[in-house]
This record gives sequence, structure tokens and C-alpha cells, in this order.
Amino acid sequence: MLEPVMFTGGLYKHDLVVELVEDLGGYVLQKNVTQTEIILLILVPSEDMAALQALAKELRSELVRAPLAGTEVAVVTPTLAIHHLPHVACDIAEYLRRHGCKTNMLGMARGVGREIAQIDEYETALINEHDAAVFIFGNFQDCIKKKESLYRNINVPVVVTGGPEIDAKDLPYAFDYVPSIGRMAHRARKATEIGSLDRIVDAVGRALDKTRAAIAKDPLTTSPPRIMDAVREQVPDIEFSYSPLPIALNLTGVRVKLPYNDYKDAVKAVTFDEGVKLGEIAAIKPSRMKDYILVRILSASETGFVF
Amino acid sequence: MDPMEVFKIEVTGQEEFAAKKYREIIMDILQDLGLIRSIGRLYVYVDIQKPYFALYGLLRSGIPPLTVKDVGDVLQVAGGYQIKINDEEHMADLLRVLWERYGRERVEQPARDIVIIASDNSPSELMVADLEAEFLQDLTDALVRVAPEGFRNRRNIMTKDSFLFIAAEESLTPEMVSEIKAKIREMENA
Repeated sequence: MLEPVMFTGGLYKHDLVVELVEDLGGYVLQKNVTQTEIILLILVPSEDMAALQALAKELRSELVRAPLAGTEVAVVTPTLAIHHLPHVACDIAEYLRRHGCKTNMLGMARGVGREIAQIDEYETALINEHDAAVFIFGNFQDCIKKKESLYRNINVPVVVTGGPEIDAKDLPYAFDYVPSIGRMAHRARKATEIGSLDRIVDAVGRALDKTRAAIAKDPLTTSPPRIMDAVREQVPDIEFSYSPLPIALNLTGVRVKLPYNDYKDAVKAVTFDEGVKLGEIAAIKPSRMKDYILVRILSASETGFVF
Repeated sequence: MDPMEVFKIEVTGQEEFAAKKYREIIMDILQDLGLIRSIGRLYVYVDIQKPYFALYGLLRSGIPPLTVKDVGDVLQVAGGYQIKINDEEHMADLLRVLWERYGRERVEQPARDIVIIASDNSPSELMVADLEAEFLQDLTDALVRVAPEGFRNRRNIMTKDSFLFIAAEESLTPEMVSEIKAKIREMENA
């Protein structure tokens, strides 16, 4: 069982951490350097946590559990106008990031209003590429109930946030509803506001756990971090991708941030130690996000084996 | 405590939360744009079933236009007038006005905060900026920001001492406008 943790510490000697994680059979998911500080998102075998903790202590750095690591969450606002951004949406996205997940902010083209709100096929498909979505709505109870049509066709769990208290049963298509956020013209700074952000993180965590439980019933042929490692090794051009996170992890696969047409064959040809090619155990599709490559791992029932 | 004399907000249906929250949003936005002191009374009426959003406000006494003597000291010197600038914020406007009035060749700026004009006519009463017009621009901006994003059909009726701003999703009809006016009158008299 791999444990997701976030390492925050100085740049000096951080390579010792990376080496240790690799020796233990774990994965470094993300590396963020900010001047002299570094933040590493790591998956490490739970039985070897003590070794990593000891090293973190020696380096005077911080090691916290990041329950959402290795997942991608869409933070969706009705538009990108000043009415919905920046405070609420950025606070939620940043708060989710601090718990280890990768967030993408998405403003709909025509998500505004009560009667006129709509979502198109492209937006739906883009949100469906994530592991969960957080929809940020406003202060009117009536509008929140009415805007259900925006996320009715979305296959991933949707956490809805808004202002007023609404019984989650009144929103049957939402995974959960988190109140007391709504539209705000200032940053979240009061304890109650931070508490609401915690409840969103909690709801997203439960939604992801539900997806993980569903995957466990018919496990994936291999784990996404393993694919990430193999692609990183065998498609060296990924180092030249300008994205801060060239390979983004999902629960069911990865997104490789290289042009689809030029690199799809290279990604398909990635070979594992067992002699299996990635093209045989995963569907390689064009992603809805830019021109990227979407890798979706097939389940054991489709390939007949797990490694 | 509200800096306004009256601030009433009414929302139809079971929307007490929205009423409370919109009070905060309006205060935040007016504060951001520095308008809160210029509005005396504010009435907000929202019908979310229709849906429309209306704001009616009474403005505090008008702001006089900014003249040359407000931004600096005007002194008569040999061959003209000298202006010693105290408030540099409106420097660009001041120079533009002086150039228009006297012509570029008669306006000289020997130092950053000194302007000398070669003329017998005193510039002290010249209007540098119309603060009232700037205020009304900021106010319109604030009203657009306050109203919910989807309410794209707007009407803004401004008079010398009041404004009525209506935003709705559907086209505004004369009946809707008169209904809103009646509701706001009701709130005013309550």
C-alpha cells in the first residue's frame, strides 16, 4: 500500500529524499522548486514510512500526509468574470492543492444565470477527464437547485458548493453539497470560512475514496504512478515539456503533456519489465485538454492480468 | 455598522441567506471602489423567480468640480501666473486644460511642481476634472459588479441625486420596471 505524503523543506540535500523514495520503491509525483524551498509530492510504501520520516527529521523539513495526491480535480465556475473570480474559486483551488491534488480551474462559457445557464459537450468531456469536480455556485437557493442541469451529465463525482443551507437530498446528481461558501467579494480568512474549505476537501476526499473503492472491485492492470515512471524513462522528450507537471496523474491513468500526433506511437511503445507494451494495457486517446495525450489504463477484466 | 443611513435589502422566497450575503457583497464592492461615503440610502430588491435584481440609491450632496486652485496655489508673477502644484494626482488633466486654454507655447513647466503661464487671465477658476462624472462612472462599474453575472439586460436610470439600476435575465418590460419602482417605493415608505 502506497502512502501519499507531501515533503516541504530546503533545496539542499533534497536529492537524498528522492533517492530514498526510489530505493524504497516509491514514486516522486511532483517536484516544485520555489527559490530555496522545495515541495515534493511522494508515494511511499506505508511500511517504510519510518525511514522517510527519520530522513525528513534529519533535514529539518516537514512531512505531512497528502490524502489527495495523485488525483486531478476540476474547480468549475460559471464564468471567468469578476463575479465568480478570484476569491472563492482561487481559495478552493489553492486549498485543494495544499492537500496534494492537482487542480484545474475551469470557467464555463455560458454557465451564468438561472434560466439561461448551460454547459456544452466539450466542457462536459473536459470535466470528465478529471477524478472529481467542484462546482462553485452562488447565494440563491433557487438558482443552485435549478443549475443542476450543468452537472447532470458528468460521470465523475461532483461536489457542489454554494451559500445557503440545502439538504444534499435536494441535489440528487451531486455527490455532496457544502454550504456557506457562495459568492464572496473578499478572501476566506475567518475561521468559519476556512472550516468550509476543510469541508470541501473532506467531501472531495470521500468522493475519491468512493471511486477508488469502485476501481478496487475490478483493479487496473497496473498503477498510474508506474506508467508515469516508465513514460518518463522511455519518452525522454517529456523533459522538454513546458508544463509545470509534464505527466499529470489520475486515478485511472495519466495525461502526458506532449503533442498527440507526434508522440502517440512513442507512448504506445513504452515497455515494462514484464515485456508488456503500454499500448496493450491502456487506451491512448487525444485529451480534450490542449493537444495532450490521455492514457486510460484498462481494467483486469479487459486484459486478463494485473502486474 | 453601516456607514449608510438606510440600507434595506429584500429578496423574495426562502432566500434569507442571499439577502444577508448580498449585503456583505455590496458593502465589499462599494468599499473597494471608495463609493460608500457618497451613497446616503440604498434599497435592494431581488425577485429570483422572475428573475431580476434592482438597486435604488440616494446620493449624498453633489461633488463640486475640481478647479486649478484646488490642486495648487495660484500666484501672480511678472508676466503671468505661477501655479505651485500641491496635488500631483491630476497633473495630466491640469496640463491638458492649460494647453487647451492658453496654447502650449504659453505654458511652461520649469520644475516638476511649478507651471508658469504667460497670460493676464488668472487660471484659478479653470475646471481640471469633473469629479462627479468620474464618480458616476465608478458607480456604474460597481452596480454592474454587484448584480449577478447572468443578468445581462440592464437599465440604469440616473438623476442628479439618485440612481435606479435594474438587471434581469429576460428583456426588461415597462411593466417590470413599474413593478420594481412600486416595490422600492413601498420599501422606502415602510
